[in-house]
Amino acid sequence: MDYRAQLAMRMLMNKKGSLIGAVLAVSIGILVIHVNFVIFQGLYDAIVRDMKAYRFGDVYVTNEDDYIDKSAIALVNWFERIPYVEAATPRLDSSAAINATKFGKRHEEFRVPVVGVDPFRDIQASTIYTTVGDGQFVFSRNSIVLGSTIARDLGGLQVGDNVELKFVDRSGQNQIKRFIVSGITTSAGGQGFDFSVIVHIDTLRSILDRTDETGAIIVKLNDPTKATEIKDLFLRSFPSDDFKAETIEESAESALRGFRSGIALINLIGYFGMTSSAFAIVTIQMMIVSSKTREIGVMRAIGAKRKDILLLFIFQGIIIGVIGATVGTALGLVYTAYAKETKLEFEGSLALEVTYNWSKIAQTALTSFALAIAASIYPAYRATKLQPIEAMRTV
Amino acid sequence: MEVKNLNKIYGEGDTAVHAVRDVSFSVKKGELLLIVGSSGSGKSTLLNMIGLLDRPTNGKILIDGSDTTNLKDSDLSSFRNSKLGFVFQFSNLLSDLTVLENVLLPRKIQQSYDTAIADATKLLRTVGLEKEIHKRANKISGGQAQRVAIARALINKPSIVLADEPTGNLDSINAETIVQLMKSMAEKLGQTFIIVTHERDQFGRVDRIITIKDGRAFEGEEPRRMEVTV
Repeated sequence: MDYRAQLAMRMLMNKKGSLIGAVLAVSIGILVIHVNFVIFQGLYDAIVRDMKAYRFGDVYVTNEDDYIDKSAIALVNWFERIPYVEAATPRLDSSAAINATKFGKRHEEFRVPVVGVDPFRDIQASTIYTTVGDGQFVFSRNSIVLGSTIARDLGGLQVGDNVELKFVDRSGQNQIKRFIVSGITTSAGGQGFDFSVIVHIDTLRSILDRTDETGAIIVKLNDPTKATEIKDLFLRSFPSDDFKAETIEESAESALRGFRSGIALINLIGYFGMTSSAFAIVTIQMMIVSSKTREIGVMRAIGAKRKDILLLFIFQGIIIGVIGATVGTALGLVYTAYAKETKLEFEGSLALEVTYNWSKIAQTALTSFALAIAASIYPAYRATKLQPIEAMRTV
Repeated sequence: MEVKNLNKIYGEGDTAVHAVRDVSFSVKKGELLLIVGSSGSGKSTLLNMIGLLDRPTNGKILIDGSDTTNLKDSDLSSFRNSKLGFVFQFSNLLSDLTVLENVLLPRKIQQSYDTAIADATKLLRTVGLEKEIHKRANKISGGQAQRVAIARALINKPSIVLADEPTGNLDSINAETIVQLMKSMAEKLGQTFIIVTHERDQFGRVDRIITIKDGRAFEGEEPRRMEVTV
């Protein structure tokens, strides 16, 4: 081993307080990045996961400007002939004013989003039916599933209660329809249809006077990596129908652009934290240089060059960087494993989608390692400026 | 070694201090030269310049025929490492290293590893510390530390060993041991020693003595102006 590296190691080992302080500074910097990543990327991925499961599927097909007027059955069948497609289902979105009377008290109208689903196809292409905690899905034409928030705002409606919805059809006429509540839907973190109501798609088409029209087709794949391929194949196959098709990544990108900016900002703050740990290393290294002034003078007197002194303290930075990056990454991985196991899900909160992003983990470790070395350059440079005579007078 | 018209002035103008004044002398190989003088006479300043740890205001220092006056910092370091050995008043061992590692350090700086451990062990045996080689430097006594410092000074087989008050921090028994050790090294190895001390009596009979008074050098113990003879 190079004598400067050996001496650097000995100096640090005999200054355990300084070594532990410097290693902690690096480790905590890394841990902050890991915690940020697990929470915010986990949250983002969890939202994307639920968007895919409940609303968009792997591929989401709409019309550029209007409703899809091609037969939904024909489109679903077209998709389901492709081996990579597990299922496809039509959806139709609208809105209505809702009111209900409970225990003789009428709850005033307010507008709610209405989602029309084909219940038998939807349960194959989406998992929204699993969020129906009480009752069942909208298997009959006059049934409705209320979002838990809607049910609460309507005075605590339960399965079997009646609600009245007022729609405006395609010709501008009000259409009033009464439904029986067949289920209440509630989802972790409210990512499902907690703020909407779900009805049978044929009922909604009939009310809106949009027979054979569809708002969107949700396609679920058994191999999600083929999403772009399926999307492109679909668009090539229907070139003159003004279809718009998006993969879940594209749908999420446009829906969560602000969230992504937030993650970038949080990451930036994390890296600022890591930079401040570099300042801690500078301070600790300066203390070591100060406490080793006499030794530096002796080394210079017996022939060590400025370059040797520089390398000695840069080796210290390397040692701090290696130990700090290893400890910090280990702590980060332990935290990530814990988060992956528990999904950080508390009292019905959104279960995080925790993944090991190895390139990010490596990048964080390497960045902190590089920062530790960079942080040792200034103290090392200061050490080289010590004159042997002056340095040896220090006791 | 040859020292020619060496001067060292600290400060400027009215506040200037002339620490060393026009000192010239030469040292023969194998000579044990004692530089004596009272505290503040300039003897340590002179030794620092001879040891290339401090630059003279003017004058020349030639070691093995090479003029060291205009050497760059890195060349001075190499020169100190290969041509000079140092023994300081406080042994100045590196407390993070063992006794053996301290002795090996000048050789490691030189990056010359052949026979290094054997040479260091032999030197430590010579100074009577073969049993202490793996002890940490801060776990040995002051007298032992000074003996390690002598071994460290000799490891690179320097032209000259410079010792600044080597017994100044020791009790009389340890001081006597160190003095005898240096004298025997000078005799057996033909090693040149320049020793600065204000404890002249501890050294008994030596090859030469130079007395420094008010920055001026005088041959012998009486303050008469020295004329250089080679």
